[in-house]
Amino acid sequence: MARESHPPRPSAGTGTGTSALPTAAATATTTPSRRAVSTDAIPPSTAARTLTPGSHHTLPRFAAGLSASARKQPGPSATPHARAAFRTINSQRAAAVNTPHRQGAGGRRRSARELRETPRNFLLPLGRVLARNTEVIVSSSSATKGGRGEDTVLEEEEGGYDDEEEEEELPKRPRLSLPIDEDEDDDDDLRPHRSAGLEDENFTMQSIEMPRRAYSEQPSRLSMGSMRYSDFGDGLGVLAEVGEDVGIDSGFFPPMEGIDEGNFELEEMPLFERSELDIARRETLVRDSDFEFEVPLGMDENTVVLAPQIGESPVRQPEDHDEPEPMLHSRSGADDSSVADGDAGGFSSGAEDVDVDVGVEQEEVTAKSAAKRPAKKKTTKMSKYGIEYPSLPQGVVKRLATTFAKTSGAKGKITPDALKAIMQASDWFFEQVGDDLQAYAKHAHRKTIEESDMLTLMKRYVLFLYMNGYLRTGSQMTPFALAQRHLPRELLQDLRMTPPVPLKKRRKTGGDAEDEDVT
Amino acid sequence: MAPGQKLYPRATVKKIVKAHSGCNISKNVDVMIFLDYMLFMQTLMKEATIEAKQGGEKCITSRSVRKVTGDALAKFKG
Repeated sequence: MARESHPPRPSAGTGTGTSALPTAAATATTTPSRRAVSTDAIPPSTAARTLTPGSHHTLPRFAAGLSASARKQPGPSATPHARAAFRTINSQRAAAVNTPHRQGAGGRRRSARELRETPRNFLLPLGRVLARNTEVIVSSSSATKGGRGEDTVLEEEEGGYDDEEEEEELPKRPRLSLPIDEDEDDDDDLRPHRSAGLEDENFTMQSIEMPRRAYSEQPSRLSMGSMRYSDFGDGLGVLAEVGEDVGIDSGFFPPMEGIDEGNFELEEMPLFERSELDIARRETLVRDSDFEFEVPLGMDENTVVLAPQIGESPVRQPEDHDEPEPMLHSRSGADDSSVADGDAGGFSSGAEDVDVDVGVEQEEVTAKSAAKRPAKKKTTKMSKYGIEYPSLPQGVVKRLATTFAKTSGAKGKITPDALKAIMQASDWFFEQVGDDLQAYAKHAHRKTIEESDMLTLMKRYVLFLYMNGYLRTGSQMTPFALAQRHLPRELLQDLRMTPPVPLKKRRKTGGDAEDEDVT
Repeated sequence: MAPGQKLYPRATVKKIVKAHSGCNISKNVDVMIFLDYMLFMQTLMKEATIEAKQGGEKCITSRSVRKVTGDALAKFKG
């Protein structure tokens, strides 16, 4: 099946047209250029040739062209394993080159094949003779050539596919000898391929991707410190060690902190202020503020690394000159972080200088951070801005959930784990809302989120159209109408005090709905 | 929602949003935000109820909630 389909493709793809199509024999007689094209079809055929006893039968028919003889062995390929193997091979080739597998593979093979072709002519008769012998040996184990017991066929095919793959790399020879000697070795190599082919391409894809993720994770951790570590590391091994420690800690600590802070207590203003202070401080220092901010639990070093550099920049300059080091270029990163040092300091600054600074200040900072830690432990979560935030009290969420569940017709309770899921969802929701509102406010060049932001956000929801269905008012749902519906009066009063002008506008547009709702 | 009771802790909502947005928050936005949150909960629970019914569950389970959460969040994406 598969094999028959192969030969026409290459010809069509290469544009040889009808002449190539008819048979391999015809192609063999054609001009050299066409031969090259026809040879594309050969690989599968040659593989098949060595693979199965069936090749005997086909050989005599097409004495003129090898490719033809090879093609004519559909028998083995008909089995599911063979098809799978073909698929895998084709897919691999296709994956290797974006172009349709024929062309991509053809491009490769042509070069190899032309080399082969000359020996082939000599080897053909040899191959036929040997092939018969080898086939007899292989087939003798179980099924006869004609019978083609599936077991034997499978094994042979495996060998064949190996051959095919190897063909690309190796000249023809191995094929002939392989079925006997190399079967064992090849099987080991092949098994992964075969399993992958049978299961699906996904397996290979996953196997490829998995390492990538793992790999990407590592650099991401390192990347936080990379600007310093790599730069410093080039200069001194000692610094590199320090950097590694920091990197590891930074990677590990944030989660630790999250675990430790499992208990959330209601926020207290002092906490909040502190966090803000920290953020402000760090922003002034370096961009990495987020990471370091999270670290404080165990990580004194992180904060240390950054803080001392800027803080002690004046001190370094004299030292730098004392210790001239060749590593100017590698330290570009250090220069960035320690721009404050001054130009001269940046160039000649030794990694050791930085090291000393770090060591000195680590202790100081540890003392500082130690004082702050207990306060931070109370917080539950950390937003991406490094601000701790509580989650909504579970009672509120549960009340809302139950009421809305009842209104929507649920009879049963809400299971505790469902409530957890809801809490999670509400956390995500607030995160999303926060992001959106921030985007709106930023767009308006404000640093404060205002009602107008929230209104634009709510207007943006396609939801309101959707909600028309199950809110009884047929007309447009405005945020104001919704507020009327859902909010208690105290809160509504607050809302009404908010910008009167937009409210009026809204009333005009959605007046009907409002009236109905209110009454 | 329960009349005599405080509907929600305003300060908490403010803090949450402030943490996520990194911006200051004007005085009464949190009301709107909470209104939005209520709408979200309404959709979420409605969908979850439907999902639970379709799944033949007696009460709303985490499975149905989780299944629906993504859609509900997407609906309220600005």
